Amino acid sequence: MPAIVIVLVVAVLFFFGYRYYSAYLARKVYAVDPAFVTPAHSMQDGVDFVPTNKHVLFGHHFTSIAGAAPIVGPAIAVFWGWGPALLWVVAGTIFAAGVHDFGALAVSVRHQARSIGTLASEVINRRARTLFLLIIFFLLTLVNAVFAVVIANLFVANPEAVLPILLQIPLAIGIGQYIYRTRSAALVPTLIGVVLLYLSIGLGQLWPISISGITAEDGFFTDRNVWVILLFLYTFFASRIPVWVLLQPRDYINSHQLFIALGVILLGVAVGMDRIVAPLVNDTPEGSPNWFPLLFVTIACGAISGFHSLVSSGTTSKQLDKETDARYIGYFGAVGEGSLALGAILACTAGVVASRADWKGLYSDFGAASDNATANFVEGIGNFAGNLGVPGAIGATFAAIVVISFAATTMDTGVRLQRYIVQEIAEIAGARRLSRSITFGSLVAVLLPLVMALLPGGGEDGFTFGVL
Amino acid sequence: MFARAWSRLVAAWRRVEAGHDEVFVARWRQGLRREARRQEDTMRALVMLESLGVDNPVAYETLELIPHLVGELHEWHQRMGQETFGDPGVCC
Repeated sequence: MPAIVIVLVVAVLFFFGYRYYSAYLARKVYAVDPAFVTPAHSMQDGVDFVPTNKHVLFGHHFTSIAGAAPIVGPAIAVFWGWGPALLWVVAGTIFAAGVHDFGALAVSVRHQARSIGTLASEVINRRARTLFLLIIFFLLTLVNAVFAVVIANLFVANPEAVLPILLQIPLAIGIGQYIYRTRSAALVPTLIGVVLLYLSIGLGQLWPISISGITAEDGFFTDRNVWVILLFLYTFFASRIPVWVLLQPRDYINSHQLFIALGVILLGVAVGMDRIVAPLVNDTPEGSPNWFPLLFVTIACGAISGFHSLVSSGTTSKQLDKETDARYIGYFGAVGEGSLALGAILACTAGVVASRADWKGLYSDFGAASDNATANFVEGIGNFAGNLGVPGAIGATFAAIVVISFAATTMDTGVRLQRYIVQEIAEIAGARRLSRSITFGSLVAVLLPLVMALLPGGGEDGFTFGVL
Repeated sequence: MFARAWSRLVAAWRRVEAGHDEVFVARWRQGLRREARRQEDTMRALVMLESLGVDNPVAYETLELIPHLVGELHEWHQRMGQETFGDPGVCC
C-alpha cells in the first residue's frame, strides 16, 4: 500500500478527532469559558505571564513537546507490524494524548497556572507531591539513559554525523550570543545557522569521526560504551551552564529542524510514492515479547505522554490568552506529536528498505528491532530525502543530526530537571546541605542513568535496556 | 516608484522577521529576560556601591552611568516590592 494513503487516512481521522471529539471535551468535560480571565491577564508580568496569540503559543507548545521520543518508540514498535503501531498512535492521539494535554492545560489555567506537581499537593495532599516527584525521578533516569544509548548508537553507526553535531555547539552559542547582544531579529542569523549546520554535513562526510582506535572490540570499553561515558561527561558540564548560553539557542535551531524534518517526510512520501513493505501484523519469532502490554509502553510520546502535562502546566498555561484556546493548543499539539510518530512509522516501514524480505531481516527479532530502531529511521528519512533529489548519504546524515540534536537537548533538559528533583527530594528528606548542592544533584542525575545505560543486555535475546 | 516598492518590500520583510521572532524567539523570552535582569542588577549594584556604604574606587567613572539607569528605575523598584519610589519627583 502506498504510504501516502496512510497519511491521508490518518489526517482525516485526526481532523475528525479535533473537529468533533475535542469540541465535545471543550463543551461537556472541561467546560472552557471564553469569558474566564486567564492567569496570563490577571497575573501579567511581561516575563512568565504573557498573553500570547494562540497560533504562536501552539508553535511554542508543539516544539517543546516534540523531540526524539515520538521517533524512537514507533521505530521499535513496528516490530509487531505497522498495524498495531499505527492503531495505537491514531487511537492514542485522538482519545488519550489530546484529552490529557488539553486537560492538563485547562486544569492548570483554572488554578493560577500552577504546575501539575504543585496541584497534586494542593488537590490531594503533600504525599501525592512526593510520589509525583519520585515518579518523575525514575522516569527521568530512564529517559536520560535511553537517549544516551540512542545517541551513542547513532554516533557508532553514522560517524559522519559526529562532526556536524560537535560544530552545532559553537554555532548555537554564537547565534544565541548574537541575538542576545545585538537584540536583532533572529530570522537571518537562524537561516545562516541552519544552512551552516547542513553545510557541515559535507565536512562530516570528509572527516568522519570514529573512536574505534581507542576502544576495544568487545568487553566493557566498546565504542558504544565509551560514547555513553563521554556523553554523560559532556552532559554533567553542559547541564551546569546557564540555560540561555547553549540549551536555548540549540533548541531554537532544533525547532527549525523539526519543521524541516516533518516537511521532508511528507514531501518525500508524496513525491516518491513509497509503498509500505512491512507486514500489517508481523508473525514475531518464538521468544519475542508479547505486544501486550509492551506496545503501549514502547510508544509513549506520539500516543500519550505524561511529560506533556509538565509543559502544558509549566509554561503554556502561563501564556494562554483565552481559556478556549486550550483546545487548539493542547489537543492540536498532541495531533502534531502523533503526526511525527506517524512519520517515524512510515520511515521504518516504507522508507527504510524496498522489499518485505529485507524488512524481515531488519526486524528479525526484538533485540535487532530495538538495536537498529533509530538507524532504520535515519535510513528511511535518508530515502525520503532521496526522493526529493538529496544524495542518500547526505540525507541519512541529515536524519541522524535531527535525531541526535533532539536527543541531546532532551538529555540536557532531563539532567537539569533531574538535578532539581534530587534537590527537592533531598529537602523533603531533611538533608538540607545536599539539597543545596548543585554538584550532588548533578552527580546523582548523571551517575544513575550512566550505570543503567552501561548495564549489559539481557542474555541471549538481548532485549533489555542495555542494548536498546 | 522604485523607492516606494523598495520601502514596501522592506516593511514586508520586517513583518516576516517580527512574525518569526514571535514564533521562535518569544519562547525563550523568559530565560533571556531573567538573564538580562541579573546582569542589569549587578550593574546597578556596582554603580550604587557608595550609596550602600561601600567604597567605590571608580565612583568618578560610574557617576556618569547613573542617568542611564533612571529609565528603568520604576520597573526596578516595583520588582523589588516597592509600589512607589518614595522620593517625589524621581519617577512616580
